[in-house]
Amino acid sequence: MTALRRLRLRREEGFTLVELLIAMIVLTIGILALVAAYTSGYVALNRATRVSSAEVLADSQMERFRALTYSSIQLNTTCGALCNVDSTYTSDAVYNATARVSGCSSSTESTCLPIQTKTGPDGRSYRMETFIEYSCPVSTDTLTISPLSCGTGEPSPVKTVTVVVTASAASTGLGTNTPVSVREQSAFTSLTGQ
Amino acid sequence: MGPTARARPSRHLRARAADERGFTLPELLVTLAILLIVVGSLASVLVSASKSEVDAGKRFQVQVQDRTALDKLRRELHCASSVTDTSGNALTAGTAYTAIDTQLSSVCPSTLGTTTYVTWCTAASTLTTGDYALYRVTSTSSRPTCSSSGKIKWVDYLTTSTPFCLPSSSTACSGVYKPATSLPMLHVTLPVDINGPSSTIDKYNLVDDIALRNGARS
Repeated sequence: MTALRRLRLRREEGFTLVELLIAMIVLTIGILALVAAYTSGYVALNRATRVSSAEVLADSQMERFRALTYSSIQLNTTCGALCNVDSTYTSDAVYNATARVSGCSSSTESTCLPIQTKTGPDGRSYRMETFIEYSCPVSTDTLTISPLSCGTGEPSPVKTVTVVVTASAASTGLGTNTPVSVREQSAFTSLTGQ
Repeated sequence: MGPTARARPSRHLRARAADERGFTLPELLVTLAILLIVVGSLASVLVSASKSEVDAGKRFQVQVQDRTALDKLRRELHCASSVTDTSGNALTAGTAYTAIDTQLSSVCPSTLGTTTYVTWCTAASTLTTGDYALYRVTSTSSRPTCSSSGKIKWVDYLTTSTPFCLPSSSTACSGVYKPATSLPMLHVTLPVDINGPSSTIDKYNLVDDIALRNGARS
């Protein structure tokens, strides 16, 4: 054993306070990274739960339209506060005030209400928006409303139903992230029964 | 400790370095006790984590079964040429049923080319007291019931024994009416809870109105 090594073995110095503090800070950063992984896992799980619940609600709303006659697929746009659409609704890409299908007089039937609050299978509440718009099955056609047509010799307009179910960002516990939203769309033609 | 002390350790220190005694028994006991407390608290964290893992897995499985059953029901009811009780009588509007019988024509996907009676029914759960299980049983000759052999369980931990109800435009099923011009719709409620029917946590309440596409508008 060299003299130097013997000397090092004899030394009784430990770590200095500064060294210890640095070590602890490094360790803390490592632990925090692990905790962050847990947090993002929790957020992802929460989001998945909300999406699947919103899907169930959207499916169920679309199912109601499948049971209706073509002429009954319409919104109630004259039931006062219940049917007042807000800016979130009107700023949606599918919203087109002139092509909207209105005429329903019921203020209780789920298929008639543009905006409603529903309870999902998980017991939490969701905002459900329903859009019913006339559209042309051929995307290059131009829709005219009166008379309702997609042009001479072109197929007749169809009713396009879009259901958007949203869980607000605040209620998902996802902080300032964008709200969880599920979108379903289906077209209905008069051939399915007047 | 100054540089002088480092270069020439005192006699006392040298003596300690040469000392070959180990830990005393009390020291060892104290160490063991501290270790036990630390390991014990870690173990309890592990046990509770593994418990909630099992619980979450069970919940996940039950919810998946629930959605799968609803999907199967929806496919079959869309194709069904009749939906009755297990004796073949029409369903009474607004009444909740424990079992429904559907008749599927040979063109329906799940019949293998033969006209088939399919009964969906609930019976007491074999896993938890107070809960129910949803079974599907088929027959090509007569309307089967839940006591028929060959039934297959689709969902367990159901908290209701009466998941089926047919609303009319004047009689509701849990507040749901059939819209006036709509096809008949079967209101299906499949609430599941792995903690039994009286539990309020972990409840997953799957509800749907399934259109009977071959039904008559009224």
